[in-house]
Amino acid sequence: MDNVKKRAAELLKSEAVKVVIGYTMGTNGKPRAAFIQNAEDVDSLIFNAQCVQNLAVYLSKAEIKQLGKPAIVAPLNVLRAIIQLASEMQIQENELIVLGVSPDGELIDFQNFSAIEKYLEDFNMEVDAKEKETLEKISSMSLEERWKFWNEELAECFKCYACRAACPMCYCHKCAVEQNKPQWIPVAAHRLGNLEWHIMRAMHLAGRCVNCDACHEACPKGINLNFLTKLMLNDAQEEFGYTGVTLKEGNLLSTFKTNDQENFIQ
Amino acid sequence: MSRIGVFVCHCGENISATVDVEKVAQAAAGFDDVVHSVDYKYMCSDPGQTLIKQAIKEHNLTGVVVAACSPRMHEPTFRKACAEAGLNGYMCEMTNLREHCSWVHDRTEETTEKAIDLVRMLVEKVKNNKPLEPILVPITKTALVIGGGIAGIQTSLDIANCGHKVILVEKEPSIGGHMSQLSETFPTLDCSQCILTPRMVEVAQHPNIELITYAELDSLEGYIGNFKAKIRKKAKSVDHSVCTGCGDCWGKCPSKKIPSEFNAGLGSRTAIYVPFPQAVPNKPVIDKSNCNYYQKGKCKICEKFCKPGAIRFDQEDEIVEAEVGAVVVTTGFDVVKPEFFPEYGYGKYKDVITGLQFERLASASGPTLGEIRRPSDEKVPEKVVFIACAGSRDPAKGINYCSKICCMYTAKHAMLYQHKVHTGKSFVFYMDIRAAGKNYDEFVRRAIEEDKVNYIRGRVSTVYEKDGKLIVKGADTLMNGEPIEIEADMVVLASAGISNPGSEELAQKLHVSYDRYKFFAEAHPKLKPVETNTAGIFLAGACQAPKDIPETVGMASGAASKVAALFSQPELKREPLIAVVNRQMPPVFSSCVGCFLCETACPYNAIGREEIKDRNGNVIKTLARVNEGLCQGCGTCVAFCRTKSIDIQGFSNEQMYSEVMALLND
Repeated sequence: MDNVKKRAAELLKSEAVKVVIGYTMGTNGKPRAAFIQNAEDVDSLIFNAQCVQNLAVYLSKAEIKQLGKPAIVAPLNVLRAIIQLASEMQIQENELIVLGVSPDGELIDFQNFSAIEKYLEDFNMEVDAKEKETLEKISSMSLEERWKFWNEELAECFKCYACRAACPMCYCHKCAVEQNKPQWIPVAAHRLGNLEWHIMRAMHLAGRCVNCDACHEACPKGINLNFLTKLMLNDAQEEFGYTGVTLKEGNLLSTFKTNDQENFIQ
Repeated sequence: MSRIGVFVCHCGENISATVDVEKVAQAAAGFDDVVHSVDYKYMCSDPGQTLIKQAIKEHNLTGVVVAACSPRMHEPTFRKACAEAGLNGYMCEMTNLREHCSWVHDRTEETTEKAIDLVRMLVEKVKNNKPLEPILVPITKTALVIGGGIAGIQTSLDIANCGHKVILVEKEPSIGGHMSQLSETFPTLDCSQCILTPRMVEVAQHPNIELITYAELDSLEGYIGNFKAKIRKKAKSVDHSVCTGCGDCWGKCPSKKIPSEFNAGLGSRTAIYVPFPQAVPNKPVIDKSNCNYYQKGKCKICEKFCKPGAIRFDQEDEIVEAEVGAVVVTTGFDVVKPEFFPEYGYGKYKDVITGLQFERLASASGPTLGEIRRPSDEKVPEKVVFIACAGSRDPAKGINYCSKICCMYTAKHAMLYQHKVHTGKSFVFYMDIRAAGKNYDEFVRRAIEEDKVNYIRGRVSTVYEKDGKLIVKGADTLMNGEPIEIEADMVVLASAGISNPGSEELAQKLHVSYDRYKFFAEAHPKLKPVETNTAGIFLAGACQAPKDIPETVGMASGAASKVAALFSQPELKREPLIAVVNRQMPPVFSSCVGCFLCETACPYNAIGREEIKDRNGNVIKTLARVNEGLCQGCGTCVAFCRTKSIDIQGFSNEQMYSEVMALLND
């Protein structure tokens, strides 16, 4: 982590960047995001296994953008989000300095986004075995059971949209739920409204989700809403050979390959 | 406040026999904002249209719903009527009480209820309609014709004779296609080359036609009236502006044993070659894959003997760009390959040949100079068996269709054989004789009755060699399936016509659809036979399905007339039912966030990028922008857009939503 701090201080001193986005210790003993603008403050940066928030979410926030060019402390989940955002034209290579962080906190230098893309090839974006078991259990339920399961799971949601605020891929200025001409998704947190919101959220993340679990971490009710995106990721991998984020334009849902399976069309 | 008029049509009795039209009109009168509602026997008739026009003026209507037939049938009629009465045509909507209701249901209360619901939905929709104006698109008056067979030649000449420019691209070194390989043509037995070559020369000399041979389409972008084509000119290794076509080079070329494509493999050619003596242009190219210099690094004999010094070994492929307003695809067909017929021994026995090879044997310009001599030992065959439907109409082989031309050319082949070998005997195995066409059946009867060709109705099960003879085993189904065995000297297969290799790739480049056999698909099997589903791209000839010369030429002229009609307008008028990206007041500019997933999803390449800049030219935001000329209004982008920033004009989210809600809230 010392290397990361040193580099952050250099960048701020030389004014190569105006702000360093990283993790610091929060008031309740849990890490939180830090926005460091002075080189003297870099010592407050930390990195440990609890640093799970996806900092890439701040890259598209107007409040952070107006601070000037950022550098970002980037463990695996942030790196994935950066590549996905770049493939969706949301960030440019020259607008950002990436301070890659290995799982044990060491600085990794990336010359450009392609180097990040290459680095990510070694880390399979798979749903882990334990989660896979749960997902299979859900998938094997009968239609009625599954309907009941999701209705119960989502009943707790009161539409605070913390999941949306935490997701690095939810960067739209005006979310579809706030579109009211016409109002496709009901505003109220009733059963149907909740279901529609979460299905829409999952569909909007199809082929884009970086599997960082930020949405689940942010949910004050601890709803397993990431199961929906994970199921989608599982399908993407099994049905279409999706291996993870890439810089190329387009995503799984909007493009086709000639060898894509079409066995669902009958 | 909207003022909507509803006009319910009886369609004679088509609708009124099943739906209580008066009740529908009465119910509609009670809907919010409906100020006028009537029913009439024929709304599309002149008095019917007058009814609408008068109502628009009398009741100051802001929207019109015509409850009648399919909008595909009469939407233009009613939109025009509204426009004539001063109401924007796009403020008129149709609901389909005929195909969607009366024709598919019995006369019951529910049928009338459904009709009322259909009207209710459209009334709600039309309240959200906005006046629209047609889109005007400029037209580049040059046509690109891909493929220089008879279809491409005819299309090019017809378009060029209308005074428009044509670029004709041919992948082989010469134009002419399959027709140049044929001996005589049915049903008149006139020489194929004699009627074709004058047209080939006309193409080469026409001031409006730019002929590009030995070239292929690399890519096509753009839209009707405004395509940009990239054409790959393959390196000919010969500078045609210097070459005189004297022939010294191919006379001296040491690689002499290359199977000649023009002679369907029955003769050979050199590595530097013109495909046939009447080729247009009559100048050689070097086939790199068979040239000693390109393969082994030394030779250059042609260069040594070329007096004008036209050989260019360092020539490279060149990409030329062209702007064209329309494209005609005339890439023709192919025939099935030897491995298709293990049971007939094609490829195994030299004297089992395809129809195309027989054409070359019978042709005066062929390897035998028109004498029928079999390939193995050049003897004149005394017994020849012709097998029709070799591959065609054979679901087991994956070709269900009839290749259409084989019955006729098989009769022609047998006839030519009988004319040339008077002592010979010919047999034709056939499934059915399909000789529909002017003078066609008479032609087949002539083969059977005058030229004594033996027609046997039945299929051949196997062909094998025994003591220098080809034993053809089959059955005569008109003789109770009696087994037949013929000791033949030669067997000719009327092999199935198939799509060209590479047709799928070309279709994808052009964004046109193709069928399961990879033949290009016409827009409508009856009413739009030369159009494709992509506006501005047309079809002619056997690239669409196997067809004979008269049909190909007819289709070619048809495609040419479509192109000429397109080019005869100063500008193109398009329906404004296309996608638009919303725009809002600064600093938001649009709810579009510029992720451009729509760009990758659009099947028509219609989505581009628009930069919003401040006064100093700094880019503030990059938005998606829909190209008005390209967009077909399919709505894929609308479904994709997460922020719902794209709408289809005339089918906006709001219109669709109110239509659905009208039904749900009822």
